[in-house]
Amino acid sequence: MTQVVLALVLGLLFALGTFLVLRRDVVRVVWGVTIISQSANVYLVTMGGLSGTVPILGHGVPGAPGAVTDPLVQALVLTAIVIGFGTTAFALVLTYRVYEEHGTIDLHDLGRAADAEAEADGGVDR
Amino acid sequence: MSVVVVGPLLVALFTAIVTLALRRWGPVQRAASLVGSILYLGVVALLIRDVRADEAGYLVYQLSNWQAPYGISLVADDLAVLMLALTAVVSLLAVVFSARYIDEEGQRLSYHPLYHLMVAGITGSFLTGDIFNLFVWFEVMLMSSYVLVVFYSGPEETRAALHYAFLNLIGSAVMLLAIGGLYATTGTLNMADMAQRLGAPGQYGVDLPAVLGLSALLLSVFALKAGIVPFQFWVPDAYRAAPAPVAAMLAGVVKKVGVYAIIRLYFTVFAAASLPNLSGFGGGGELGFLAFFGPVFFLMALGSVVVGGFGAVARKDLDGLLAYSSIGQVGFIVLPLAVAASVPADSSIRTLGVVAALVYSVNHGIAKSLLFFVSGAIQGAVGSVDFEDLGGLAEREPLLSGTFFVGALALIGIPPLSGFFGKLLVFDAAVQAQSALALGVSLGGAILTIAYFTLAWSRGFWSEPGMAVEGTRADRSLVGVAAVLAVLIVVFGVGFGPLLELAEDAAVAATETQGYIDAVLGGEA
Repeated sequence: MTQVVLALVLGLLFALGTFLVLRRDVVRVVWGVTIISQSANVYLVTMGGLSGTVPILGHGVPGAPGAVTDPLVQALVLTAIVIGFGTTAFALVLTYRVYEEHGTIDLHDLGRAADAEAEADGGVDR
Repeated sequence: MSVVVVGPLLVALFTAIVTLALRRWGPVQRAASLVGSILYLGVVALLIRDVRADEAGYLVYQLSNWQAPYGISLVADDLAVLMLALTAVVSLLAVVFSARYIDEEGQRLSYHPLYHLMVAGITGSFLTGDIFNLFVWFEVMLMSSYVLVVFYSGPEETRAALHYAFLNLIGSAVMLLAIGGLYATTGTLNMADMAQRLGAPGQYGVDLPAVLGLSALLLSVFALKAGIVPFQFWVPDAYRAAPAPVAAMLAGVVKKVGVYAIIRLYFTVFAAASLPNLSGFGGGGELGFLAFFGPVFFLMALGSVVVGGFGAVARKDLDGLLAYSSIGQVGFIVLPLAVAASVPADSSIRTLGVVAALVYSVNHGIAKSLLFFVSGAIQGAVGSVDFEDLGGLAEREPLLSGTFFVGALALIGIPPLSGFFGKLLVFDAAVQAQSALALGVSLGGAILTIAYFTLAWSRGFWSEPGMAVEGTRADRSLVGVAAVLAVLIVVFGVGFGPLLELAEDAAVAATETQGYIDAVLGGEA
């Protein structure tokens, strides 16, 4: 049951993240990327299996000693969360810097500025 | 158990900390940065000597003495040390270049700590034997490189960094997904352990089709890091925005981390597995994992050569041309890998293909860094790298132009430069595998390479001198750094034997899964 609920939640989170990443507003894109990376963390926990008791043995915890939850995924998720903090902070600072430089955080306008520049350069790409 | 394996990592991390502490004393900081890079080169040389002296050719360090697969292993074999050697040489020269090229204020803005953290991330990615640890080192490397790309923080730089950072953030999430999935299906994160389990799926209850799908997902992340088509969008903007020495590192070394990860994971780890043939194109029996990736690699290589080649021909500025050229050149690295993946596992062509990819990687790493250094020196002297403003450099700056010429010839593949052997091996792999397609693509790519370098040469260095070029003079020490690389290219070309020998051993190390497993899991080392 938990498995099904988590799968649904994961699907929803990924859909929401993808939706936000496709927005024009850079701040929403940051939100989208954050949600996607957080749902990757939830996915990691799910992958470790949800059955079993707490991974500490011999403290009168009910259940067979073999049936503990995998503690490794939780260590992995902790690492990933910390990295996620760092990257989110950087993404927000970068967004502010983009606003300072361009006066807009609309990706459409940023793209237009790039096109105009390329036109002036006579460049062909983009 | 060999402590020297962690040496390069410690040196890079330590240098980053020292340069951060010395931020207020500019010249001292620069000296510390330089000393750190020289030490790094020294430790890597020591590591190479030890790996070469070891009879099996594997040095393994189990962190905190936790035996694999429970702890994190650092593995130095011929493949890893070859890549480390490239990193050490390019990063030392890039530091020398930066010391003159980046202005005073820029140097104070934590340029050197970031730079050495990036080197630490690269080193960790080459040495780690654990896929989650690989993710962590990737992040270390990427975080520093985001900041270095946005270093000048003008409009163009922030926009380029926005694309670069966001694409890589999404790439990281995808990498995490693939790693989580691999852990769930194989039950391990250690590469050697994973290879062992994939080799005996029945015994460990591994669901191979799921692993195949996840490894394909992982490939997209590595392709993004290596800037292989169809994941190349960020390359031209990011390389143009980054300061010249950083662009040299990005194109010369960071890109090779993606290539290394592809070789390590797909040729060492995933190659151990085989699937019932599901391709639907007939033919029964077992199909190696690599046989599935062969056509994928080929399409990526084809796309890279075409997009990079034509993109470079169309560019109107030197930096853009070099950036597109590096997309095209990475195609030449993936192409022999495609050939190597498509042939049967016991064939000698598989090793040959990997050798070709490695030799080409080293050649591209050195030559492309050289070209970015030249472009940086021109930018410093003329103030622009648009072909419109250039012209006549060959007359005004004979030494600088000469080094550019050597770098361009190396990428085109003229003997006796190192690039000749790289190209020769790529062609050789294609011919020996009797693949007309691969041969056609490499020929087409070679012609495109000649085309865009001819364009760059005639517009930038011959023709009438542009207004901006008159009376300028490039910084001698910057030119000197580029010239050192040019000499290296010639040295590697003339004395090709040792490099080939190391590349051949590296290719054997990459394709010998059993040796890797034994070295990492083989009890007390």
